[in-house]
Amino acid sequence: MKNGIRTLKRIENIKGWLLSLPYWIFASIFFGYAFIWLVLLAMSKWNFITPRKMIWLKNFIHVFQDPMFWTVTWNTTRFMLYYIPSVLVLSLALAIALSKAKHFGAFFAMSFLVANVSSGVAYSIVFSKIFSSTGPINNFLYDTFGVVIPWFTDPTWAMLSIVIIVLWKFVGYYALIFLAGLQAIPKELYEAADLDGATKWTKFFRITLPLLNPSFVMIIVLAIGLSFGIFTEPFMITGGGPLNTTQTFMLTIYTTAFEKYKAGYAAAWSIVAAAMSFSIIWVSRKLIERDVSFS
Amino acid sequence: MKRVGLLLVAIMLIVGIVGLSKVVTITLWTAPNPNQNLFWKTLVPMFEKTHPNIKIKWSQIPATGSSEEAILTAIASNRQPDICTNIFNGFAAELIESNVVVPFDSFPDFNALLKARHMEKVIKGWENNGHYYVIPIYVNPMMIWWRKDLLKANGFNAPPRTYSDVYKLAEKVTIPHRRYAYRPVGGTKWWDRWFDFIMDYYAASNGKPYLDVSRQMTFINDKFGKEVATFFYTMFKKGYATTDYGRDPLENGTVLGSVEGPWHIPYVKQHYPNVYKNIVVTPPLVPDDHSANSPVYTYADTKGLVMFKSCKNKEAAWEFIKWVFSDPSHDALWVKLTNMPPARGDLLSNPLFKPYFKDPIIAAYAKYVPYAVPTAPTSKTVDIQQAMTNDLIEPLEYLKTTPDKALAKTAAEINDILSQ
Repeated sequence: MKNGIRTLKRIENIKGWLLSLPYWIFASIFFGYAFIWLVLLAMSKWNFITPRKMIWLKNFIHVFQDPMFWTVTWNTTRFMLYYIPSVLVLSLALAIALSKAKHFGAFFAMSFLVANVSSGVAYSIVFSKIFSSTGPINNFLYDTFGVVIPWFTDPTWAMLSIVIIVLWKFVGYYALIFLAGLQAIPKELYEAADLDGATKWTKFFRITLPLLNPSFVMIIVLAIGLSFGIFTEPFMITGGGPLNTTQTFMLTIYTTAFEKYKAGYAAAWSIVAAAMSFSIIWVSRKLIERDVSFS
Repeated sequence: MKRVGLLLVAIMLIVGIVGLSKVVTITLWTAPNPNQNLFWKTLVPMFEKTHPNIKIKWSQIPATGSSEEAILTAIASNRQPDICTNIFNGFAAELIESNVVVPFDSFPDFNALLKARHMEKVIKGWENNGHYYVIPIYVNPMMIWWRKDLLKANGFNAPPRTYSDVYKLAEKVTIPHRRYAYRPVGGTKWWDRWFDFIMDYYAASNGKPYLDVSRQMTFINDKFGKEVATFFYTMFKKGYATTDYGRDPLENGTVLGSVEGPWHIPYVKQHYPNVYKNIVVTPPLVPDDHSANSPVYTYADTKGLVMFKSCKNKEAAWEFIKWVFSDPSHDALWVKLTNMPPARGDLLSNPLFKPYFKDPIIAAYAKYVPYAVPTAPTSKTVDIQQAMTNDLIEPLEYLKTTPDKALAKTAAEINDILSQ
């Protein structure tokens, strides 16, 4: 009997491995091999053409000595400071509005997703024309108030303008995450609160916000990952300028690898950026994440 | 028995004929440009017709961020073509340093090709350690386009020649956020430096190089560099220039003068034919003390083709290259389709090209080919020009520094880059 059970377990084990084998093959080629190659490259000097030369940790030391690294770190911090609070507030507000919509709620929800699925290159070009000094917004401002806002050409405004575009792209998507969280909160909790005489703000801060903790954590993790991964908008619109104020990690990695032909140095940058992103996400989760139960 | 014998002879004959008439294939990559595509689309079948043993597998350089990126990734994965066009001097230096391209002077009839195409002077700008690894295809001298209708409307009968001339024009025509006299800075990408600082440095210095790669030093902080930097700084300080001119600023009248290459001609002819009639072309602006009788040098936007060492049929590839560039009618077709001056010294004297230079704008470009200087032949072009952008151009644009300080910082950075 015991032998039969063991044999059955072994057969089930083998079946499990066989069924997941295609994924393991795919992952080992496109993730495993790629990751090992990335680490080797980060410890090498290579310009794509000549043989690769091992220089061990020199690339990593160079990253931290590079003034551009500190500029990019500060730019990413600024992006997060502008973006994360804004997207949390706006997407929560949108989710609450969608939850109260009696008709066509699903239609509005899907409409906001259109921004999220739009081509980054296409909307970057469109936004750069709209916000141009001779674009429709500035034409209106100049004709009405006699002012022009240098959305993408002023060092102070440029990163904020990029944040506005990214907010437009992700507010709908994050609102759907919040909407799912809102719909999961049992109505009985609000009814019980009503019976106790709670105001709507009390219900919001004491019931809604705490029980939306999983949604908050998810959005913050996504937003931090996005902050370190942003590329299309600065590449297409500002090129990292003016005065490097919109230079991001991904943009630096791209130009280092494919314009300056320093593949090894770019690989080191990517590992450092990934480590920073992971660390910030880990710390954020430790600080914010709570166990939420509806029982 | 007799039949078997005949069959054997027939087989041997077929094998012999096939062996003797073995067709070799050469892969050719060309610039992703519709007008240049038309040129190669015409020439490749012509060549194959007259050279049935050589087949040309032609395609555009794959679409990526840049041609250099596509070529490098092809080399890294061993998928590079045999011949590739769209190579500029700096990238050629990278390929030469990496020992992946063939020196064309190793072919015995290289000098004959130079003579046939009148390239003896033009090729000098492409020399690398006494060898020639690139056949230049075209030379686009960078020039300034001026709206003569708008100049006249504001009381100026001739376009500006010197920096002070531009200041006078700017004082008259500038309307903040609406209209400017001239666009001094091309953009914030590293390659934009070719079309502003480097071009103006060549003009101010009579074509003097801005780098000495062998001595690992730059000269941009000399008298000429200071004059150019001061001009940029003054334009922004006085509000005569801005950082965002919108789309097609010259054609829309946002600027009265702008640096353009001959590739802009077909676009303007098609979309702004009335503006095209009112364009006058001049060489770059010069400092006030530059004699009006001296020639004005400019930057040469010039590209060429290389042959990779991985090519298995180098003789056949060289045969194709010689055929393309020995016949002046091919260069005439090039001008007709692309409006870009081919890299040859007889453009204005050879009657074959006369019909294509009737247009005064195209003729102006041809006239300045002898005064067009290519970029410095260094593999560190991107780093150097990025340093110019970050430490010189942008800080001057935003008035964060002075010309002297910016030049000193940029020169130090470039010398450091060259010494690595």
